[in-house]
Amino acid sequence: MAAVIEFVEGAIRFLFVNAVSERKFDEKGAYGHALSHCMKAVDRIVEFEDKYLFIEVKDPQGDRSHTEKENMAFVAQFKRGELDADFKCKYRDSFLYEWASDRAEKPIYYYVLFADETLDSALLIRRSHALESQLPVRGPRGVDWPRPFVQGCGIFNIASWNKRFPDYPVTRIDGTGAP
Amino acid sequence: MPLTSLQLQNFTAFAELDLAFSPGVNILVGANGTGKTHVMKVCYAACEASKPGAPLFHQKLMNVFLPSGRRAWRLINGPARREWMREGAPASPKVSVNVFGDNFSIRTVIPIRGFRGERLPTNGAPIESVYIPVKEMLSNAPGFLSLYAEREIHFEEVYNDILLRAYRAFPRAEPDKNRQGMLTAIEESMGGKIRRVDEEFYLSNSIVRSTAMDIEFTLLAEGFRKLGLLWLLIRNGSLREGSVLFWDEPETNLNPTLFGVVVDVLLELQRQGVQVFLATHNYVVLKEFDLRMQKSDNVLFHSFYRTEEGEIACNSTTDYLAIEPNPITEAYDDLYDRQIERSIRGRA
Repeated sequence: MAAVIEFVEGAIRFLFVNAVSERKFDEKGAYGHALSHCMKAVDRIVEFEDKYLFIEVKDPQGDRSHTEKENMAFVAQFKRGELDADFKCKYRDSFLYEWASDRAEKPIYYYVLFADETLDSALLIRRSHALESQLPVRGPRGVDWPRPFVQGCGIFNIASWNKRFPDYPVTRIDGTGAP
Repeated sequence: MPLTSLQLQNFTAFAELDLAFSPGVNILVGANGTGKTHVMKVCYAACEASKPGAPLFHQKLMNVFLPSGRRAWRLINGPARREWMREGAPASPKVSVNVFGDNFSIRTVIPIRGFRGERLPTNGAPIESVYIPVKEMLSNAPGFLSLYAEREIHFEEVYNDILLRAYRAFPRAEPDKNRQGMLTAIEESMGGKIRRVDEEFYLSNSIVRSTAMDIEFTLLAEGFRKLGLLWLLIRNGSLREGSVLFWDEPETNLNPTLFGVVVDVLLELQRQGVQVFLATHNYVVLKEFDLRMQKSDNVLFHSFYRTEEGEIACNSTTDYLAIEPNPITEAYDDLYDRQIERSIRGRA
């Protein structure tokens, strides 16, 4: 049954219209992921009637556990592409986990929300392109997979996420909604 | 002695413009046809007209703008010109140009109907300036100056002027540490120093001695010709404390990997007291300034745009993220939107 689903990841509130369910996929504990010693995991999985969304969230501005200097270094790492491999592994392992759990029966989309206001479109293009080419969306020799490994993917900041997905709005929980 | 502001009335692309400058770096962005080059040419003409024995300001404006047939009325802003040409129109429109600096001001009223112009008061000391036009000229230098002096060839005077700057002899004194630092950075990027034999320029490869050979500019990559010109202007002292550099689209023919060294040199020139103006359409140039400038640097972004009424206006800000409108990043917004659309919907 489709419904409006809302959850908070870190300091960001997500709202999904017409979703079926959502899981905190990287949940710790006996009833959580439970294979974190050998498999990486995206933050959330949202199920719709016709698809799954795998969602990874990075919010250096909202992370109070690190100093401002550490957060700036983290953003710089992202801009240099040093997190690309991590994004790739999180999707691959999450996909394998779900496939082996007999749950990857619908098309899967993978979206990374990197909530930093200094990311402009040129930087987002570069990182989205890197993610798309690493996963990869298409199969060998540029031919579509008979069974797609990932239906689509992209990297967003808050402003570009809200522009692209008006039905899945995100806001900071302090209510600013600032990109 | 930096320029501080500019006022234009009914001049070329501008009905009215009142613009304040940074004493450091001024970066002009805007879509084609929003007057960035015109602003730089006006300011350059003001600097040139400030020198003893120089042509009158309005004459220098004519020389650097080069309107067809050297007809001054072609420099009148479009709506004012159409109004003036209407039958029974009143007197000529007022076309004025005012440039101000620290203890400096120069102004002119463009003479429309055969008025010969007058030397309006210029206050302050002369300002040394350099204008680097879009088209590279060093490879075409041999014979150009004499041709320009003797014949009516259709080149804006900035092309003649830049060669005059490039041909200047080096000062007797060796470059100081800061200047040498800039020269070395450019030499490492282009692989040598610039040497002149008669009127011809060469890249003299003194860094990699095993392949030492002079390369004439006509055989040299266009990007290195641009770096070579910058090297010459620093080495011969044309760009020194108190001077003003105008550079139109430095990105032209330059590989983006070389933008970093160019931006570093421009920021260092600013720290040495050179006021810098540059017009750019390039994201990497803009971003390099954003990433390389220090808190103590004076960098001002000027965004030229057309209002809903069709007039050209300008917003200025010191904050890269606050540039508004920013046609350079807007172009990337569009690319990003389309890439995401393709990534999500699939390539098919």
